[in-house]
Amino acid sequence: MMIHVKLIANYRDQLPPEAKNGVVEIDVPDGTSVYDAISRFDIPLDDTSVIVLNGLTVDMNTPLKEGDMVTAFSAIAGG
Amino acid sequence: MYGWHLKILRVNLTTKKVTQEDVDPKIARDYLGGRGWAIHYLYNEMDPMADALSPENVLIFATGPLTATPAPTGNRYMVVTKSPLTGALAHSNSGGEFPTWMKRTGFDMFIFEGKSSEPVYVYINEYQVEVRSAAHVWGKEVPETTDILKAETSNEARVACIGPAGENLTLMAAIMNDKNRAAARSGVGAVMGSKKLKAVVAMGNKNPPLHNPEGMRELSVTTSKDVGVDIKKGSNLRIYGTAYVPQVTNTLGILPTRNFLQGTFEHTDKIDGIALKEQFLIKHVPCYRCPISCGRLTEVPDGPYKGKGEGPEYETISSLGTGCGVSNLAALTKANYLCNEYGMDTITTGMTIAAAMEMYEKGYISEEIIGMPLPFGDHDAMIAMIKKMAYREGFGNDLAQGSYRLAEKYGHPEIAVTARKQEFPGYDPRGSQGMGLLYATSNKGASHMEGDVAYEEVFGVPVKENPLTTDGKAELVKRFEDSFTLIDSAGLCVFLAIRYVFSKERMVWPERLSEMMNLTTGAGYTPEEVMLAAERVYNLERMFLIKAGSTEDTLPHRMLHEPLPDGPAKGMVVQLDKMLPEFYKLRGWDEKGVPTKEKLQELGLPH
Ligand code: SF4
Repeated sequence: MMIHVKLIANYRDQLPPEAKNGVVEIDVPDGTSVYDAISRFDIPLDDTSVIVLNGLTVDMNTPLKEGDMVTAFSAIAGG
Repeated sequence: MYGWHLKILRVNLTTKKVTQEDVDPKIARDYLGGRGWAIHYLYNEMDPMADALSPENVLIFATGPLTATPAPTGNRYMVVTKSPLTGALAHSNSGGEFPTWMKRTGFDMFIFEGKSSEPVYVYINEYQVEVRSAAHVWGKEVPETTDILKAETSNEARVACIGPAGENLTLMAAIMNDKNRAAARSGVGAVMGSKKLKAVVAMGNKNPPLHNPEGMRELSVTTSKDVGVDIKKGSNLRIYGTAYVPQVTNTLGILPTRNFLQGTFEHTDKIDGIALKEQFLIKHVPCYRCPISCGRLTEVPDGPYKGKGEGPEYETISSLGTGCGVSNLAALTKANYLCNEYGMDTITTGMTIAAAMEMYEKGYISEEIIGMPLPFGDHDAMIAMIKKMAYREGFGNDLAQGSYRLAEKYGHPEIAVTARKQEFPGYDPRGSQGMGLLYATSNKGASHMEGDVAYEEVFGVPVKENPLTTDGKAELVKRFEDSFTLIDSAGLCVFLAIRYVFSKERMVWPERLSEMMNLTTGAGYTPEEVMLAAERVYNLERMFLIKAGSTEDTLPHRMLHEPLPDGPAKGMVVQLDKMLPEFYKLRGWDEKGVPTKEKLQELGLPH
């Protein structure tokens, strides 16, 4: 199934060249979780990183559906 | 005494009398410094019912015990006064260099009272204090004023001043320091203007001795190293400044768009940190001794929006940008420069224009009244309005009163997105419920700086909370309000403090911060004691509000009754009634939000 991954600001460098405006479409097998999808990218999943599914706070083991958007960014403070 | 000078400079602008006062060490300890000391004096010295623009109002500049110490980001000061915008309390924070220079005069705090009959500025060179004529700089913009006053005092001095907006009593007027840094919110610049005080110029070499200088140096180095580890990994705050945030809030559907009619903006890519870096960034500029360095020096090199200055920051992008539906980055950047030059808060300026744009589009205010069409997205009209607001010309005079009074005047109060008459910052609380409770209860009206729970709801600092639920938000808001009160009283920047001097394990507990306070002052605080002191300060501020008659903790119509139409938070309103009773209970306040006698007693406050 096809899903989208959006990497914000400093994470954007890890996107493949075909990405547009920070978003890439990738093909993943059924049963892929949020965690599996984001693990395909070389970004440090540490205490500064935030990952959301369709803009919502979810468990990292949530299985993805066709067309979902997984977004990741890192923050050390508010804005 | 260490850390604090325990000295206040008092300037009566009516009589031009200058006096020095000592601070009672017990008051110093109990109220921490900065914002805490300031409310203690404000509460005791003025009638909270007094008109904010009258001579009875008191204008306080306050540094904290950590200001001008080796503590990273120990470069802040607070401006505390009664707000003409909200009719409640104003406490606005700024960094840059002026606050450090202010502390080096040998005073922790400046109190300005009364009103001068002619424009003046106050030059403080340690204990030599002069009230000088400002006739020659009255009417001048912030950068020129700053240059002239430095030239006639000392290049080593630093300047905080108002621009034309403050002189003209525009209710969104800021006090600018070091040209581009702002104590922005709640109309503090109008209070300064009402006193005919154009500027404060500070210099000196009187750092207070530290209780344990060696220990303080070590802890400061350790803290800077912790910041360095994050910077090395690639901190967005360093690379993009706060301008990376629109992508985050747009993803969550809480990016204020077209006066909060929407929560997502279709042109975010055109006005975010990446676009800014590619097009206009010259370099990042830190406040004094800050290892994070989130400020941006930018330049629009040519064209109709040519200019140079600092910004835009996130809060400017979400107000003058998305708030007004503006996607032209050069025009938005220019609008930011103009606000800095005239001395205006970009949030209230932007969101007031946004409200006017909505009223224009709905036919509530005609083109004749405005003097031009004012649809969302019209960046040239927006720029024209900023100048009219600073000078209160034509329709600009209506805008200069803020969106609450504007919407009321034209018969549509439901358009104003304000709390305590102050415009919302860049997080739509329908998709960030804790922010809703914060805006409603904040002592200074809608503000993220009152206790930015977006740290957890949006940014996951130190842990990620679900922004759409109300569970636990009463506790979260109280914890962040008290923590921010502590940070503002200590003299640090919130961008540093929550992650680096509070411990995550105990849910933002001020372990390292209280240690820094002790190494500086020798006051021997426990973390419990500094948190209790912060709560004392917060409650005294609350008592000021109540005495000023600003008692209602609520949110505007749009937030309570108009569900978000788009994005991940689609269908949501703020469920304030689910959070407010629990919040009052946790705070020890009655069902009307008034601190109980027991609570005041517990905190050692007058009851
Ligand atoms: S983090 Fe930014 S705002 Fe805070 S002190 Fe540093 S440069 Fe100034």
